[in-house]
Amino acid sequence: MLRRAVLQTFRQGLAQSFFKRNAVSLSETTVTHQTVETSDEGGEKFVSTQKTGDESGNTVIVAPPEFRFMYPEFLPDPAMETRNRLKEKLERMDMLQRRSVIEIPEFYTGSVMAVTVSDANSPNKFARFVGICIQRGGSGLRAWFILRNVVEKQGVEILYEMYCPLIQKIEVLRLERRLDESLLYLRDALPEYSTFPLDMEPERRLNNLVVPINPLKVKLRPRPWLERWERQNLQGVEDLNLPQRFYDKAEKVAKPWEKYDLMLHYRKTIPAEEQEKIFAEVQSQLQQQELKRKMRRRRGSDNEQ
Amino acid sequence: MNQADLSKLVSALRIAVKPKPRLFSCPEGPAGRLKKLRATVTALVKYERIELNYPRAEEAQGYAERLISDAIRNGDCHKHTMEMADYWLNEKQLVHKLFKVLVPRYQNYNSSFTRLVLGPKTYPGYFAGTAILELKGNPFPALQPETHNYHYWLHNVLLEEAKKEFRSAREDRNAGTTESVTAES
Repeated sequence: MLRRAVLQTFRQGLAQSFFKRNAVSLSETTVTHQTVETSDEGGEKFVSTQKTGDESGNTVIVAPPEFRFMYPEFLPDPAMETRNRLKEKLERMDMLQRRSVIEIPEFYTGSVMAVTVSDANSPNKFARFVGICIQRGGSGLRAWFILRNVVEKQGVEILYEMYCPLIQKIEVLRLERRLDESLLYLRDALPEYSTFPLDMEPERRLNNLVVPINPLKVKLRPRPWLERWERQNLQGVEDLNLPQRFYDKAEKVAKPWEKYDLMLHYRKTIPAEEQEKIFAEVQSQLQQQELKRKMRRRRGSDNEQ
Repeated sequence: MNQADLSKLVSALRIAVKPKPRLFSCPEGPAGRLKKLRATVTALVKYERIELNYPRAEEAQGYAERLISDAIRNGDCHKHTMEMADYWLNEKQLVHKLFKVLVPRYQNYNSSFTRLVLGPKTYPGYFAGTAILELKGNPFPALQPETHNYHYWLHNVLLEEAKKEFRSAREDRNAGTTESVTAES
């Protein structure tokens, strides 16, 4: 077994002690890629509320369908044994309360983000980390995301809990999506694909309505790998060029019937009617918060002028 | 703690869904389980009322409801729905039946599309007993008799009036006897 550099995955509390305060900007070349603007799954994104009339003629507020991609942590854990409607409602209230204090922007797996956390042990009391979001999960207040970066040739990943009160600021430096929902293969990819300068500036979005999907295909390092990537249907990876026996074994081990298992899909997701109810409840407050932030930003830029 | 899968939008099912699926013992394993359930769902759509063992009926009910709800939500031009219909219905004319007959029938339903009724449990037989799984709105006579008793049915109206008349006649008689008693005393 080859010895490999130990993958350092931190929770945000431990990370502070491992960083140099004056981060040297990396000399590795940044990855050049072409972002292709393709439409989002639900079509064009619009911010205004959809108002549908019901029989009595009163307007019923319905959240735009893209809300489920923008705020997936508002949907509860689909496991039936642990569902509790009251607990979910209280959790949503707490999430909205936190969002009124700090801006948690829209982001997806593949977006480059910068997170500032309050840290008692650092000289300026804050620790900032820049990285690409390789995975996000959790539901409710326990929603988390993992940022990955390569700092001085050492791969570093930090798991941040989105609603943790220690988080001071979450910025999205580059908002885009990738071909896969989970980019854990970046751990086995060449380091240039995970390297982002720590002083990266936020990039202006070309089109505010659509989140671009980056069709980048990543090159992996030679084997051994952390996972059997040939067994996962990865779109964002270049041809693995493995001997045929790997693909044969993958076929033997595969479960092609799961694609057709309707009840399995049902148990893994929240039905559409419930999703609509949840987002209708939450939508007006989220929109109000966004408006207030826009006003504050506009007032701020006016004051500067 | 997992996030809900967002790749598909599914309609809420109006049946009781258990948290874990039932695993049937099949020589082919999990692939064989879906193959057997496919045969059951095909038979249900074809005959609209089938009698089978209870565990298989309960599982097939879930899959049938999911298939019909997907067909209603997405229609026949949706690629994924058509793939599912093609997989779950072994006979291809039943795919036409699903989209052309069953979808219009269940379009405005607020209840489940299937009904699961417990069947006879003969001794020694299978422990879980039999069940009858049927699609609602089928052309056969109802399995269970109507248990409702509405007050506006004619015989109920007549009975109510007869009761009122009897009570008022009894009160008059009682009033008459008490008056005669008071008159005597």
